Amino acid sequence: MASAIDEFFEELGRRGHEPLLAKATATVRFEITQGLCTEHWYVSITKGDLTVSRENLSATSVVRASRDLFDRAARGEENLLAAMLRGEVLVEGNPAVPMVFQRLLPGPHGPAVRQLATAGRGRRA
Amino acid sequence: MNDDSIKILSGNMFVVSDSRGDIDASPSDPTGLFSDDTRFLSTWLLSIDGKRLSSLSVDNLRYYQARFFLVAGGGEVYVDAKLSVIRERLVSDGFREDVTILNHDGKAVDLTVRVEAGCDFADLFEVKDALAKKGTYYSRIENGSLLLGYTRESFKRQTSISASTPAHVDGRGLTFDVHLEPKQEWATQLKVTPNVILLTGRAVPLTPEELRREAGVETPSVPQDLRNWLEQAPRLECDWDPLRHTYQRSLEDLAALRYTPMAGMGQNLPAAGLPWFMTIFGRDSILTSLQALPFQPELATTTLRILAAMQGTRRDDFRDEEPGRILHEMRYGETTAFGERPHSPYFGTADATPLFVVLLDEYERWSGDVQLARELEFEARAALNWIDEYGDLMGNGYLSYRRRNEQTGLENQCWKDSWNSISYRDGRLPGFPRATCELQGYVYDAKLRGARLARLFWNDTGLADELERDAEDLKRRFNRDFWIGDRQYFALGLDADGSQIDALSSNIGHLLWSGIVDADKADAIVRHLFGPALFSGWGVRSLSSVETRYNPVGYHIGTIWPFDNSFIAWGLRRYGYENEAARIAAGILHAATYFGGRLPEAFAGYDRTRVEYPAQYPTASSPQAWSTGAPLLFLRTMLGLETSGENLVVNPAIPKQLGHIELLDIPGRWGRIDAYGRGSVEMDEQYPSAVT
Repeated sequence: MASAIDEFFEELGRRGHEPLLAKATATVRFEITQGLCTEHWYVSITKGDLTVSRENLSATSVVRASRDLFDRAARGEENLLAAMLRGEVLVEGNPAVPMVFQRLLPGPHGPAVRQLATAGRGRRA
Repeated sequence: MNDDSIKILSGNMFVVSDSRGDIDASPSDPTGLFSDDTRFLSTWLLSIDGKRLSSLSVDNLRYYQARFFLVAGGGEVYVDAKLSVIRERLVSDGFREDVTILNHDGKAVDLTVRVEAGCDFADLFEVKDALAKKGTYYSRIENGSLLLGYTRESFKRQTSISASTPAHVDGRGLTFDVHLEPKQEWATQLKVTPNVILLTGRAVPLTPEELRREAGVETPSVPQDLRNWLEQAPRLECDWDPLRHTYQRSLEDLAALRYTPMAGMGQNLPAAGLPWFMTIFGRDSILTSLQALPFQPELATTTLRILAAMQGTRRDDFRDEEPGRILHEMRYGETTAFGERPHSPYFGTADATPLFVVLLDEYERWSGDVQLARELEFEARAALNWIDEYGDLMGNGYLSYRRRNEQTGLENQCWKDSWNSISYRDGRLPGFPRATCELQGYVYDAKLRGARLARLFWNDTGLADELERDAEDLKRRFNRDFWIGDRQYFALGLDADGSQIDALSSNIGHLLWSGIVDADKADAIVRHLFGPALFSGWGVRSLSSVETRYNPVGYHIGTIWPFDNSFIAWGLRRYGYENEAARIAAGILHAATYFGGRLPEAFAGYDRTRVEYPAQYPTASSPQAWSTGAPLLFLRTMLGLETSGENLVVNPAIPKQLGHIELLDIPGRWGRIDAYGRGSVEMDEQYPSAVT
């Protein structure tokens, strides 16, 4: 069975476009470590347009952490910024990347709301 | 930290020492070298032959640089002045200190020069609340550098200390054997770098320069950066010298308070203040950017972009996060890292979200930067959405707050965020939720401004119409529900039952700024603002002196806040009370002369007739961003600067004593324009005059 973080990336890849990333253009390689094993997720963002794959490609930023930590983050039980300050999430390249992805992950009391920009009563999706 | 402490700072890093340049911090004392909310030096003592030095004088040359003139010995009536010592320190790419010793004697001397160093790696929250540490310490000598470190699980911080000349390094400092011939001098440079130690063992310097390098942004040197900053700002010519001085001081302090957040792609925004608030605050960064708009408009750009990039997206009760909410505060220290504090980031503020929309619109009006107004459409809509969907906790059509994080969240989520700031006249504290009055003003303003943005730049007249209808309805209800008819002012707020929290407070002045006050009620509000209960002679008190909880040295319950007064003055101008706005400006600007042109966060609310100088609030932050911004906003209100379409309108109302004021090269959608005015408004208060 796929773990929570794998499910997150698979679902992210199906979105095609993510409004929360509309200002981002970057490539990020996630390195998910478990014992001696490292698995990869590669995310390419061009103004919110997404491609996600399991390839081990070179990227402008790299985010590395244990599978356990990534899984907890994907279940809304862990905060990536706090984990980065603790040294459990390692970032090479742009230090803003964990913040960007934290906003896509669920919180402890619900999923990230993607349809944020629906101001005005009765106009919500 | 006492008043003769010497502070230098540059964005994320600051150093607070005594007048000798020494640091000898107690656990609860905010002195030392701090970076990213962590203390990286708590002991830093210079001695010669085992004796500490005595201070002759200090030059606080620039915000990032200080020079200490010292002599050897001390404690005696006559100081033996055959040796003098100069410590010159700089915060730029770490902390550097040049120590120079001069032998004035006719004889050669052999000296043992010692720098004692130590670090407790306290989180600023631990300093504030005197909490105990949970990790372990080490010290190590590596390649001639002293490494002081702290480890708690994977959290590792380290201070590296090195010297440019040979030294004996031990676990507690560096010792130099110095031989000086007559009239000879000796010098060494000490370099202190705060580091994060990654799991891989790599040490990453925690400096703004390093963050910008990581983000690929080119960094001018700190002195060059300050020169550029000052050259961009309008030039002030005026008769009254203290105003020129205060203006210069404000511009430099604002430069010093620019902060490079880790998640900010190397961009700057104003941090809130030294020593407690050197971080991103939603409210403080927005209000300071508003104050500085006619002077340094790019602060607004980065503030808006960074707050947008960190806008809430999900519910997280520990962090009081909700979709669309603008953050309150970000912290980088150990307590945040381990989830003992919620600041990663913390969202517990009710005003930053509407104020975000207010700033975006005001910024576009000045700059004509249509692109940013379009770029941030998504976030501005999300903010407007948050107000109605998450902010109306009582379902009565008013923005209110109640923390979800009952342990470490903020009880009061308005600018008066101390525990006792919101009370009834009889001193009781209301239950939650609380809907304070100024929040309703901000929402009213945000909706009207949001409507303008929607109509002009988002191509959504439907939303614009809806927001305008909402705003008009809010104004009508507000003037009915918050108005205390028999006292002729607006209640501080509504409590959980919808009853009025009936204290008289400075918040009524913010209502003028937002425009939510019915025209026929404005006279009564102005009478209260200048009545003896609120007006001290220097400015408007945060809480009126007739309230039960009033205390002239209580943080939000009687002190005078320069920033608060600057927005009140803006509100007075909005309703056509330009002479009254000038009176507020005169009071606060004269108060600034007692603080060397650097207005503190707050000062005491004593009557001016009783205390002839404004007494500083004991633990006030200084410099404080929105106090630094207050003189800038007063220049705007005195000159009556407003935008009108593509033009800048100038309509001066300047206190007579201030004489002539010229503000040259004001940046905006018009390019650069000059504004002039001559003092004409007679004051009730007596002030020293610039013109005879």
